[in-house]
Formats: sequence, C-alpha cells, structure tokens
Amino acid sequence: MSFAAGLLNATVQAATVLLLAGLGELISERAGVLNLGVEGMMLVGALGGFVVTAVTGNYWLGFGVGIACGMALAAVHAFLCISLKSNQVISGVMLTLLGTGLTTFFGSGWVQESITGFPQMTFPIVGRYLVHLPLVGEAFFRSTATDYLALLAVPVVWFFLYRSNLGLEIIAVGEDPEMADTMGVPVFKFRYLAVIIGGGFAGAAGAHLSLAFSQLWVPGMTVGRGWIAVALVVFAQWRPSRMLVGAYLFGLLDALQLRSQSLSLALDPNAPLAGVLNPLVNTLMNPQIMSTYPYLTTIAVLSYAVIRTESVRLAVPSALLQSYNREMD
Amino acid sequence: MTREPFLRMENIVKAFPGVVANDHIDLTVERGEIHGLLGENGAGKSTLMKILYGLYSQDDGEISLSGTRLRLDSPQDAIDAGIGMVHQHFMLIPRLTVAENVVLGEREPATPFRPDADAGGWLPDAVRSNSLVQSLAGRFSLGLDVPERRIQELADRYGFDIDVSAKVWELGVGQQQRVEILKALYRDVDLLILDEPTAVLTPTEADLLFDSLERLTDEGVSIIFITHKLEEVEAVVDRVTVLRDGENVGTVSTSDVSRADLAEMMVGREVLFTVDRERVAPGEPVLRARNVSATDDRGIEALSNVDLTVRRGEVVGIAGVSGNGQKELAEVIAGLRTVSAGELTVDGRDLTNASPRTFIDNGVSFVPEDRNRYGSAGDLSVMHNAAMKDFREDRFGSGVTLDYGELRAHAEALVEAFDVRGVHDVTDATAGDLSGGNLQKLILAREISRDPDLLVANQPTRGVDVGAIESIREAILDQRTEGTGVVLLSEDLDEIIDLSDRILVVYEGEVVYETTPEDADRERIGLEMTGGGDATATAGAQVRGLGGSS
Repeated sequence: MSFAAGLLNATVQAATVLLLAGLGELISERAGVLNLGVEGMMLVGALGGFVVTAVTGNYWLGFGVGIACGMALAAVHAFLCISLKSNQVISGVMLTLLGTGLTTFFGSGWVQESITGFPQMTFPIVGRYLVHLPLVGEAFFRSTATDYLALLAVPVVWFFLYRSNLGLEIIAVGEDPEMADTMGVPVFKFRYLAVIIGGGFAGAAGAHLSLAFSQLWVPGMTVGRGWIAVALVVFAQWRPSRMLVGAYLFGLLDALQLRSQSLSLALDPNAPLAGVLNPLVNTLMNPQIMSTYPYLTTIAVLSYAVIRTESVRLAVPSALLQSYNREMD
Repeated sequence: MTREPFLRMENIVKAFPGVVANDHIDLTVERGEIHGLLGENGAGKSTLMKILYGLYSQDDGEISLSGTRLRLDSPQDAIDAGIGMVHQHFMLIPRLTVAENVVLGEREPATPFRPDADAGGWLPDAVRSNSLVQSLAGRFSLGLDVPERRIQELADRYGFDIDVSAKVWELGVGQQQRVEILKALYRDVDLLILDEPTAVLTPTEADLLFDSLERLTDEGVSIIFITHKLEEVEAVVDRVTVLRDGENVGTVSTSDVSRADLAEMMVGREVLFTVDRERVAPGEPVLRARNVSATDDRGIEALSNVDLTVRRGEVVGIAGVSGNGQKELAEVIAGLRTVSAGELTVDGRDLTNASPRTFIDNGVSFVPEDRNRYGSAGDLSVMHNAAMKDFREDRFGSGVTLDYGELRAHAEALVEAFDVRGVHDVTDATAGDLSGGNLQKLILAREISRDPDLLVANQPTRGVDVGAIESIREAILDQRTEGTGVVLLSEDLDEIIDLSDRILVVYEGEVVYETTPEDADRERIGLEMTGGGDATATAGAQVRGLGGSS
C-alpha cells in the first residue's frame, strides 16, 4: 500500500473515533450540558467492549456493552449536573479521571489478551465496485462495520436534531430551559436523555477503538481523543454536517502524527535555507507538537466565527453550562 | 355577583424564604373581560401569575376555572387547562423560527402522519390513526407546513404582521411580543396572562397591542393584564385588582375610580404627582466642563465641544432623544469615559481623563443608566453592593482587612433610610433579588450616602414604579438642598421640567438649547430635541417612545 493510501486508511479509522465521540458530545451540549467526561466514557466503553468480546467471542455483543458502559458513566454525569446542579466542568473532569482510573485498575489483567474484533469488509452492494477506485477505494469501501455506522450516524443525528420534535425540544432545552419549561417540555428528562445518549456515543467510540481500530486493550489507549472530540464540537459549530468535515480533518492530523517519523521531508543540507527550514519542519512534524494541531485549528475556526458573525448566529447553545431550577429565577 | 366567575383564585398563599409574596389573595376574572392586576414592583403580581401558570406551586389556596378545580403542577397542566401566559421577559429562542417557537412542545408530526385526514397525508387511515404510529411520529418527525398555515391564519385574524418562517432574532420587540401571543393562541387559550406587556413597547406598538386584546375579548378570551402603569389601567382594563405587599387591597371597576385613587391603593398613601421644589440659591460652580468632546463605543464622535457648568445646589436637567450623546456625557462627567478634547474640573481640580477612582475620591457620585449591568453586581449581597464605593474608608477596616460588622450596619442603615423593600438580611439577599425600583433605591442610597459634591443621575426613574419614582425624585431634590450639584439626564420631559433649575437640550452630541423650567415651552424643547425638525406635534411622543427600544 502506498503511503497516501495507508494514510487515508488510518484517517478513516481515526475519524470514526472522533465522529462517534463528537456526535455524542454535540447532542449533550445541544441540551445545554457540557460533558468533559468523554475521555473517561470512551475508556470505559473500550474496556467493557473488549472484555465481553474476549469472553464471548461476539464483537457485536462487545460493541453493545461498550455503548452501555458509556451510558452508565454518563448517567453519573447527568445525575451530578442536572439533579444535583454541580458544576459541569468539575463533574466532567472528575469522570474522565474516574474512567481512566477504573479502566487502568480493572483492565490490567486484559492487556495481554487478544481478540477477534470487527473484520474489514467491503461496503454492502456498491462497495464491490467502488473498492477499486484509486487511492480512496480501499480506505472508504473496505473498512469495519463501525466505520460505516459512524458515517450513517451523521445524517441520523442531523435528522433527529433538526427534523424531529424530540430534537427541537432538546435544542430548546439547551437554548433556554425556562422557555422550554413554560412550553411544557420536561427539561430534566430531556437533559438526562441527551447526556445519556451522548455517553452511549462515547462508549461506541471507545469500543470501536478497542474492537476495530487496534483490536487490543491498552490502558489509556484513547490518548486524548476524547478531548479532541470536545474541541471538534466547537470546530463544527454544533452542527452535525460540519462535524463530518472536522472529524476527517482531525483524523488526518491524527494519522499523520503516527506516520510523521516515517515521512522524510528534510531538504538537501546544501539547499538554500536548509539550515533554517529543516529544523523548522522537524519541529512542526514532531508528534508532540502535532498533537496540538486540532486545538489550534479549533481556536482559529472559533476566532473566525466570532469575527465574522453576530453572536446570535454563533451556534453555541445559549444555556450551555447553566443548570435549571424552576423556582430560582 | 350571581353567576360563577370564569376564573376563581381563593386564599392563595406563597412564601419564599423571608418573604410572603402572596398572603391570602383572592382573584376572580369574568369571561371576556380584561382584568388588571396592579401593584408596585415586588407586590406579588408575578408570583400570583406564576402560580396560575403552574411555574410555582402555592403553599395554600385553590384555583378553579369554569367551576372546575385545577391542580397545576407544571406549565403543561396550565396549557392543558387553556391558560396561556406572555412573560415579561420574552420566552422565545432567537435562533429558531417563529413557527418553531410556536409549535415547541406541541409534537406536530410530519404531514403524512397528521391525524387530521384533510391535511394531505397519503398514509392509509388505519396506519395513521394507530396510536403507536402517532406516538413515534410525534417524537421522531416534525412537520411545520400545516402549523405554519395555521399560525399565519391566526396572525392574519388578529392583524399581526409576521413572517412565520423568519428567525425570531430578526424581528423587532413588538413583533416578538406578537409571537408570544401567537404561542398562546395556537394552544386555544381561554385565559391569557400578560405580564407587563407594554414595558418594552413604543406607544404606537402599545396601541396596536390594545387593539388586538380587544379583538381577543370579543371572541370570549379573558385577559389578565399585569401592570404598574396607571394610564394603561384606565385605557384598556375593565376591572382591576390591586396588590400591595403580597396582599389584595381590593378589586374595583376602573370606571368608578380616579387615577389618584388607584395610586393610593397601590402605594398605601397619597401619591403626589407634582414635586414640591423649594428655592435654593445656587452656590459656587462644582463642575466645569469646557469644550469637551468624546467618542462612543464604536469610536464615532458622540460629544462635540460641550460646555457645562453645574453649581452647588443646582439641578441641571439634560433632555434629549435617546442616543444623542447623553450616555457618553454622563460617563465623561462621572470619569468613566475619556475625553478626546477639552477639560473637566471638579471643585476647581483638573480631573481631565483621571481614573474613575479619582473621580470617586473627589466626591463624584454616579447613578448609571443600566442598574443591573453597571449599577450593581447582581450576584453579590446587598451589603457588598451598598459599600462598593466606600469600602476603602477607614471606618470599614484597616486597609488590609474589612470590618464586616460595620459593613452590615452601613447597609442596614441605607436599606432602612431609603425604604429598600424585599431585603430580609443584607448579607443574604443579593442585588439581583431586588425588584427594579428597590435596586434603584439601593444604588441611589449608596451614591447619596457618600455626601457627594456632584451627583450624576442617568435615567434614575426609568422602569420604576410610581411609589419608588416619588421617593427617588425626593431624594435627588434633598441632595440638591444640601448643596450638591446634580446633573439629571432623562428622556422623561416631565421629570426634567419638575426637577431641574436649568434645562439643557442635547442633539447629536451638542448642547443646542438652554432654558429654565419657568420659561420652558414643551413644544420648543421637543423641537430642539429632534434637531428643530419638522413635526412639532410628534416630538413629545418620540421622546417618550424611544425610551428603551433602541
């Protein structure tokens, strides 16, 4: 496989993780609840899915359990932030630490295990022909089922948010819970619903990581992808369609980071400016430096959006981070 | 009264920590009437209506509608019972369209799934009427075509000019209020509660609203109209219930009582609509501004070459239509805005472009236009707010530590002296808990208690109820008697004429006219305020109308 095709292949794999986790975060934030526990929920999903797959041999069952694990941890976040009205940032960070700690502790015995995870498959029906497309064929049409599911989730989430009553009500709860309440929308119920669905997506992202991407369990294997998913929501301006673009862009950065060492961009030492450019390129392609690029991109997009549009058109849900209490206004 | 009234609220009690907001209140509303609910800020009007709309639950008392007892645990219960409410702060989501705001919570399914057969659905009736299909379609689909048509019909019927597919943020304030009313009408209400609906409207928009309300009552809808403006009660209301300190003072027919009677019921004592102004001989100049120019927040020149002298014991009134540089002038004099040219002296000291702290230390007090954003810190206690400018003084501590006992005593003294209501404990109540009039009294108390040489008050009585207006005006005049120079900026021409010793008119950042209240000719002032423009007759209306709408 050529370098470009390999890079594309890895991009799709990495993008799936970000897409699933990002869509979940998007739903939660649309209801007004920031979930910084994504990283923890992904790890819990990854370990839960891995253990069940290793024991039963059924990766679909493992995937389902991964989702359920993410939901369970999200339910804790929902209870703390919605019912107890705790600070969403503190609760989220705490859950990331909790998820990391729990999975490191309980997952230590599973590090050596191997499983048969999601196999590569060609896309149903049309994949047979499209897989032969140059460059993109292999990457997009011979992938795991979870890659296809993540892509399918984008229009589904879009339809749910913008073309269903439940979606409209979730958006209303995230924009102005008091208003939603006066219209008879059960604010608490919908916030719970959104946070738990979001946790399910994070769990799915983690399960994809351990069951399809690496087919291994390693403690802390999300390596910050949960945080990138949080940035991705801002990058996407809380819109599912833009999230698709962002997930592939950030996925590409992720894939590049893993391959940066094998990529030699050094100029001939005798070429003009080589003395300046070579160290510069080396620094820019340093994996540690590269891991900041998704965040830098997000800041750039956010600054652009702030400069370009009036605040009312910025997509951040107006009631993000606000808890709601009917008799306290 | 022989027949059963449409709405009956009996013995309603609601207590919040430290305050009884509703103390055994009775209210009855007849079918098709506009019933006024009058009271000062903090009298319990909004609380009573939030109980009726299911947002608060009452501690005691019963509510019945058409003879049926209601149990209202949530707004949904109230909506189901046919009660709608237009809140004082609009309950609209700016980012959504008019139609989306209106149908929110109604679970309108996509057109093919609509239960009404004539809506154009192609699905067989058997599928469509299936309750599972209904329930799923109501959750997982959303159809706006049919609702949009219905909303448009309603809008046309009541003469609302509204584009149902426009985003709410694109609409003006008056139109947004019509969307609020449409929300209620869409749900077939029999009883519509309007919480201070004219607070944000221009007089023309208010007249439009009154017309629509009459059309609604013609169709049998009952309306509860909450207000603290007496002229509105006289204009649109049939009967009025007056609340004071959480108690029902009485219900009267508006045709039987005068405005003064209502004011007395509301405040609990006789209200003087005219202010007694004793003569004070002005003393030495305290403020001198020479050739002052300044820019607004966007960097555009807002003041050009303004000369202003204020002497001790003198109120200088600044009249003008909103946005002609008054805000900038007030901020320049208070030291909050730098001048681009000119000089400013207070008591002979040159304070041109000195820091706000220097102005404060030199005896300049300021009552800003926006009491919530600039006049107070909403989340801090009344005690903190009361000492916000003076906490550095020796009596409050050593310079390193603060003497909280002294701070508390100071705040309690101010609350007592200025009759700030709704404060149970000065360390517990926050500034944000206070109603508009009471917060304004607290701010004025803080500024006046510093015994200032110069007091700058920008719109001190805007959006404040009758009783508070009276005491705020009295406090300003008392301060003048004590020898403070006062700069009063107001869009209310009556206030300017009643309180000022000299009147200056600003137009486009310049002082264009000066007069005294004795010689004041309202038409001339109105004309000067609008740049000597065309229509003399409309000037007065514009002055009042442009208040908060810009």
